[in-house]
Amino acid sequence: MSGAPAISTAGLGKRYGAKWALHDCTLEIPRGSVTALVGPNGAGKTTLLQLVIGLIQPSAGQVAVLGGAPSTKDVLPRIGFVAQDHPLYRNLTIAETFRLGRKLNERWDEAFARTRIARLGLGERQRVGKLSGGQQAQIALTLALAKRPELLVLDEPVASLDPLARREFLNAVLEAVAESEMTVVLSSHIVAELERVCDHLITLTAGRTQLAGSIAEIVASHRVLLGPRSDAGSVARMHDVIRESHTDRQTTLLVRADGHVYDSCWEQHEADLEEIVLAYLGYNPGASASRSAAVAS
Amino acid sequence: MTWVGWRLQRTETLIAVGILALLAALLVPTGLNMSHAYSSDHLGACLDFQRSPDCAGQVGAFRDRFQSLLDLANWFTLVPGVLGVLLAAPFVFDLEHGTYRLVWTQGITRGRWLAGKLGVALVAVVVAAGALTLLFTWWRTPESRLDGRLSNGVFDSTGVVVFGYTLFAFALALAIGAIWRRAASSVTVAFVAYFAARVFVEYKIRNSLLTPLHATWKGIKQPPFINNAIVISQRVFVHGHEVARDGGFFGGSAKVAVPSSPATQATVHFTYLPASDFWPLQLAEWGLFTGAAVLLFGFAVWWTRKRIA
Amino acid sequence: MIAFHLDNRSGVPAYLQLVQQVRQAIRLGILRPGDQLPTVKEVVTALTINPNTVLHAYRQLDLEGFTEGRRGVGTFVAADPAPPPTDKLRTLRASLDQWVGRARAAGLDDESIGALFAESVRPAGAARVA
Repeated sequence: MSGAPAISTAGLGKRYGAKWALHDCTLEIPRGSVTALVGPNGAGKTTLLQLVIGLIQPSAGQVAVLGGAPSTKDVLPRIGFVAQDHPLYRNLTIAETFRLGRKLNERWDEAFARTRIARLGLGERQRVGKLSGGQQAQIALTLALAKRPELLVLDEPVASLDPLARREFLNAVLEAVAESEMTVVLSSHIVAELERVCDHLITLTAGRTQLAGSIAEIVASHRVLLGPRSDAGSVARMHDVIRESHTDRQTTLLVRADGHVYDSCWEQHEADLEEIVLAYLGYNPGASASRSAAVAS
Repeated sequence: MTWVGWRLQRTETLIAVGILALLAALLVPTGLNMSHAYSSDHLGACLDFQRSPDCAGQVGAFRDRFQSLLDLANWFTLVPGVLGVLLAAPFVFDLEHGTYRLVWTQGITRGRWLAGKLGVALVAVVVAAGALTLLFTWWRTPESRLDGRLSNGVFDSTGVVVFGYTLFAFALALAIGAIWRRAASSVTVAFVAYFAARVFVEYKIRNSLLTPLHATWKGIKQPPFINNAIVISQRVFVHGHEVARDGGFFGGSAKVAVPSSPATQATVHFTYLPASDFWPLQLAEWGLFTGAAVLLFGFAVWWTRKRIA
Repeated sequence: MIAFHLDNRSGVPAYLQLVQQVRQAIRLGILRPGDQLPTVKEVVTALTINPNTVLHAYRQLDLEGFTEGRRGVGTFVAADPAPPPTDKLRTLRASLDQWVGRARAAGLDDESIGALFAESVRPAGAARVA
């Protein structure tokens, strides 16, 4: 079973009433990767993650996690999860929170948990409800990491944290990745910083996935084309045009193209990840002359 | 899991223990007083000669002394509801605060979690309900000997029905909480619904739980068979014409409400549940509430397992 | 030991920035043969960066002969870290000087020269095809 991908889905969907929160999602997340799930609020990120950890059941398709079905007693102990806003029992002390973790998990690394708390400068008798948001996030993360998961799933882990706490949180995640072969999937609606933290990326808009793959490949397979104002038709015959914008004199295209665009009337540039992701998420700067100018310089 | 369940249930369980202790502090001394008065005034002996005028004074004295306390005790009927919904609150807190997402993604399945969590809560409810039943039943003993056990006040706070009420309130709060996921509101609504269900059963259902007896009686003296009975209806006929209709609980010292003028010719048709129906009626009402509790409990578990994410 | 830093705005992939910084440190003598590079975890802690990126960079340095990874111990600067051939450097430098002279003569200022140079050096994918 160790050869199975961390997560693989086929035609996965979840419907609430008549609305599909996630539709026809097929993807594979390799072991050992750090994958960002990016999309605007309400795009279905939480739905996908909750299907993966088995908090909800699919309305269509399949999902396999670490080679098994989610929320079974074979898979559950091998997954760590920190939900949005990192819920904890506020009236428990840190020590009691860890005791809860120990009681509810076969694998539990008490030494790891204690070391992390000491490093954070927290006392075990402190009540969780009295800690800052960043400290609570760290406790929730420690609870998830001390079960020594093979897959760590984080739902908007840093959205509610200040920049320092955000950095500390991501640091803790990445250190754990460096120490083990753990796979990480984290959702975010913030694109900046992801390139540094993640090596794989999935974009999700309105319940559908657009991009799924390694960041290096995604960046390598996209180009920004700049040229005199013209129709994108000639390029569109050969490549997918993800986004086009025009000024009165100039046309800027973002295209998906493996290798070069052999068309001499276009000036080619590498696209940066944020630009690509925003284009897939539907952001279109329109006829923003200043942006075109910045890219052209 | 037992430790976890207990730890998350601890505050509410301690509050429940506090409520029980407070009740005991009130009921144990007054209960001892009543027992003492009951035996020192030889009220037990009086009951055998109920209609002997000598006893009226003693019974009256006992009443005068304890009536305000006994009236106050009618509020006891709320206590099972309070304890039941209180002990259901931790379950709803999990749903309200999102901590269910924390515990359902630890190393155990949702089913095991529910079994552990609700198991501990259920033990707390059963123990609390048991203690309440024993305390109430003991405290009501002198009164029930004197006035019978089928009066609403005594019946509601004696015997196994107390147990059923507590379970019902608990399961009701679980079911409402599972859907609503707001602890304070769910518990409040569950308590109000508990009270409404209790009133409904008491006034609309209880008298039809068992098949009543019918009897005809001539004269104005109270027939002995309706002592401490629930009289569902009492129809008074004079020369074949119905002249009065009445019903209700007939305590030991009650008198038949027969119009006085043509009294000698009166014939009274009684439909009633005799005093000996106490335990069958207790069991029937206990079954009603416990059955509802089991259904609500099952619904809460099913809903939580299948519908909540 | 060296300390890495990352420039998020440079557009250069993070792994390449690490590779460049190690190469630079070796060229400048900050890192000497046998020196140990920071462990992956140390780099991760310092930079909040994906460990796979650091591994990628270290693999690249291994491949280029600048370093050698010893399993379970760490990554060390190679005994002979692919020294740049000094004579070739000298001739290249001389021809670049000549070119800069011609550019100045053509009326280009320093910024224009820099831009032109940067455009030539840019990776193939970004080069102007026209």
